[in-house]
Formats: sequence, structure tokens, C-alpha cells
Amino acid sequence: MADDIRGWSDELARDPSSLVFLQLGEALRRQGQIEIALKIALRGLDRHPQCAEAHDLIARIAVDRRDFPRAIEEWESVLSLEPDHIGAMKGLGYICFQQGRFDDAERFLSRAAAGGGGADVSNALEMVRRSSGNTTVWLPDSTPAVDPQRIFADLLLDDGQTALLLDANGYVLGGLYLDSLGDDVSQDIGAQLSGISDEVERSMRHLDIGNWRSIIFETQAAVVGMAPTIDDSLVVVAASRSTPLGLLRRVMDRCVERATGWLQTGRRS
Amino acid sequence: MTPFRPMLEALTRQRGVRASLIVSENDGLVVDSSLRFDQDGDRVAALAASMYRKARLSARAARLGAVAFLQLDAERGRVCAVGGRSDLVIVVVADPAANVGLIRVELFKALESLE
Amino acid sequence: MNIATVEPWVEAPLRRFVDDARARLALLLHPSGQVVAQAGFTREVDVMTACALAAASHATSGELGKRVDGHAFRSLHYTGPDRQLFLSPVNTARGAYICLTVFNGESSLGLVRMYFEELCHDLAAAAPPLPAAPRPTIAADFELDLNRNLAALFGREPAAT
Repeated sequence: MADDIRGWSDELARDPSSLVFLQLGEALRRQGQIEIALKIALRGLDRHPQCAEAHDLIARIAVDRRDFPRAIEEWESVLSLEPDHIGAMKGLGYICFQQGRFDDAERFLSRAAAGGGGADVSNALEMVRRSSGNTTVWLPDSTPAVDPQRIFADLLLDDGQTALLLDANGYVLGGLYLDSLGDDVSQDIGAQLSGISDEVERSMRHLDIGNWRSIIFETQAAVVGMAPTIDDSLVVVAASRSTPLGLLRRVMDRCVERATGWLQTGRRS
Repeated sequence: MTPFRPMLEALTRQRGVRASLIVSENDGLVVDSSLRFDQDGDRVAALAASMYRKARLSARAARLGAVAFLQLDAERGRVCAVGGRSDLVIVVVADPAANVGLIRVELFKALESLE
Repeated sequence: MNIATVEPWVEAPLRRFVDDARARLALLLHPSGQVVAQAGFTREVDVMTACALAAASHATSGELGKRVDGHAFRSLHYTGPDRQLFLSPVNTARGAYICLTVFNGESSLGLVRMYFEELCHDLAAAAPPLPAAPRPTIAADFELDLNRNLAALFGREPAAT
């Protein structure tokens, strides 16, 4: 990734009108270098004001900066340039959901789903409908997942969210953690993060505040939640830095519920 | 009185907050604290610093970047901590019903003044 | 972690302490330098040396404290690039001991001090009463005790005297 960034930076230095700013800005955003990503995206937009992808990039950066009005403005610009832009519809659906405007969120996500938005849009739509109390709509992929890697798939709101179920030794029981390149790093992440729960267990014995229910931490790149479940197992949920902690908690609670049921089913069978 | 005291007292005045402390992450020792009754500052400092450090090291190993805010929820209380570039971590112990969103905002404000 | 004790009542509290505090090494000794228990050491020569140096260091800081503060300093903490040590006395019904704890970045001084307080409490609770009339310690007895203790810790026959 560092080599890619260097290559794109060099190319942009050689040719400031190159569209490579889109890849460079997105890579920097994913690395958490939000302000630099914004500068590059704005400079690119100056040269390509009719480029829908440039507006889309700025909108995503705005979400990372919690600047939701700017994100809405940019995604609306995207739709005025490309009315079928699925990313913009998905983004607007996401912001509407964050703001509790479930009907608007459903409208945008339905349009995205109809335009071929894929499984993550359908999952998001399902969550919006569940949150708004409208759960009667049939969704093609709403059947419970049985593949251990997909036990949380229908509970996650977007591509940036990921969940793992770890056993007491830090081994992965279910779920999937993909890095920004799409590689499965579940085992590595699980092993690294499971050590935190050991530390928490130790602290609980001495802090006199009862058993622990969850731990949440914000990093440069993500927000991460961990919660214990039965059999000394652990649920880990991670989402993009822009995800509100309240939403992360809700997703985590649902994943714990799912994991508990899944583990109990495993006990019975 | 250390220069941190007014900041810690402001944190402890938040509803539901039982203790606020500035601790050294590496040593787990109290730099300064504002405690309500029945709070063992040394114990909280050692354990909270240890948890924060573990989260920071684990997140770094998992390539998630530096940890800023940490919140531990338990049956009878909450522990929140923020850290920045220095070795110092600000820790708050609060009731389960405390407004953790507000505590988080105040902790980040306090961190700014610390750095 | 490998733990060996001369006095069995020490083992459980010491094991809990090294586990909780994530200590790399721990040594419980008499102020005279005689070993009572060790955790994490693999060679008896290291134990003998560490006991002698810990006892000397404790005596030195105690005396220094008396000179500059009117009271013996209780605890000592040294930091190195990778490891740190904490040296502090423990009082029980069996008398005073010294505990040397070595730890690294997996632990912290705060944690070691916190768990050390629990160790003091646990040892005080576990210590059986002192025998009615202890013998006076003489140099020959000390050498005999030392050999017997090292034999107990490392599982070899006591050296002939």
C-alpha cells in the first residue's frame, strides 16, 4: 500500500491533471490520513468539477470527519451528475439512517438495491427496515447464515463493518475480518485483540464493578467493540472510524445475541 | 496542587463520575487524581493504565492505528480513558447510568488541554 | 512459571503474585540473604547471587534512609532498558522477609505494587506461628541452612558439611 501511495503521488506530481488523485485520496482516507486525503481530493475536484467520483470521494472523507452536511451536499452533486450512482445512494442512505430518518434511508437504499447494489446494500436495507419497525418486506438474502464465516453477515450495515467470534484461546470460531486489500486477516486480528480481554478479566477481579459487558475503543482507523459471550468466547466488531459508537454498540449487541444462539446450537448438535 | 487539579475536578463534577485521574501509562502510577469516597486511586491507575496500554499495543499489532478513547462497561460501573501523544492517560470511573457520551467529549477536551 | 519453595506455605501466595503481576522473576528471602522461595530462576548460582545482592541492597537502602530521613526506606525500584526490579520487605508472623520482583513491559510498577500489597496480606495470613524457641543463628548453621534451602529449591542432595 505504501508503494502504491508513493507511485500515485509521483504520478500526480508529474501530471497534476491526472485522475490518479481518486486512488491516492481513497488510499490515504483508508489509512486514516483524512486531512491530507481531503486536500488531494479538493485539488482534484478543482481540476475536474464534473467528475462524480471526485464528489463521491469528498463525501466519504466528509463522513470520516463527521461532516455530514458536506457529505450530503457532495453525494447530491454525484446524483445530479450520475443519477444511478450506487455509492452515492448508499452513502445518503447511511447518513439518513444515522440521523434516524429511516424512511429516507429506505428510499435511497431501495434505489441502490434496485440498481444492483449487491448483498451489502440488501443487508443495510434490512437493518433500516428492522430499525424502523418495518420487517415485513422479503429480502432475497435474509435467511440466516449457516457458514461460520457468514454468521454475522446479515447484521453488518456496510462493507466497512466486520465481526469475529473468537474462542477462549483467541482462535476464530466464526465471522470474517478483511483488510483494506480484501485479504482475510481474521486469525491475525483475532489473536492480537483477544489479549485485551485477558487484561480486562484481570482488572475486573480488582475494580469491584462486577463482570464486564463490553469494551469499546477508537483507533485512528477504526472503532472496535468486544464483548464476552458463552463458553468464554468473545465477539469482536470493527467498523470504520466514522461509525458512531452508539451504532457500533447496537451492532455488537446483535452479534453477541447471534453468537450466543450459534454456540448454543453447536452445544445441542 | 498540580496544574491538572481543576481539570480533574471538572471531570469529577460530571453526573455519575466517581473518580478522575491522570496516570502514567507505562508505570501505571497516579500523577494526580480527584476521587469520591471509596475509590482506590492507586488500584484504578494501575489497572486502567494496563488495560489502555494493552489495547494500544494490540490495536497497533492489528494495524488499526493508535488508540484514542477506550470505554469499558461492567455490571456496576464504567471506566473510560483517553490518551494522546504523551505517556499520560486521563481515566474516569463512572456509574453505569452516567452519560458516557458527555464524559467522552469532556475527556477529549481535557486531553487537548493536557497536550 | 517454575516455582520452588523451602517453606510450603509460601508457594500459593507467591504463585498468585507472579501470575497476577506478570513478574518474570521473584525471590523471597530472609534479610540475612537466605532463600525462602524463588520463581522463574533456572540456575542456583543466580539465586545465590541475587539473594546476596538483594539482601545487601535492602540493608543499604534501609541504612541510607535512617541517615537521611530518620527511618529506613522501605521499597526500592530500579529501571533498566528492558527490565525493572522492585525490592520491598514483607512482614509475617514468621518474621520479616524481603521480596525481589523483576518485571518487564508486560507489567508496570503500579501493577507490581498493587499485587505486592496482596502478596503481603496473603503471606501474613498463610504464615504459621513461629516455633517456640528459635536457635541462635551462627555462621556454620547459616551455611548448612543455605545448602539445605538450595537443595530444596533445585532438587539435589544437600552438600556434605
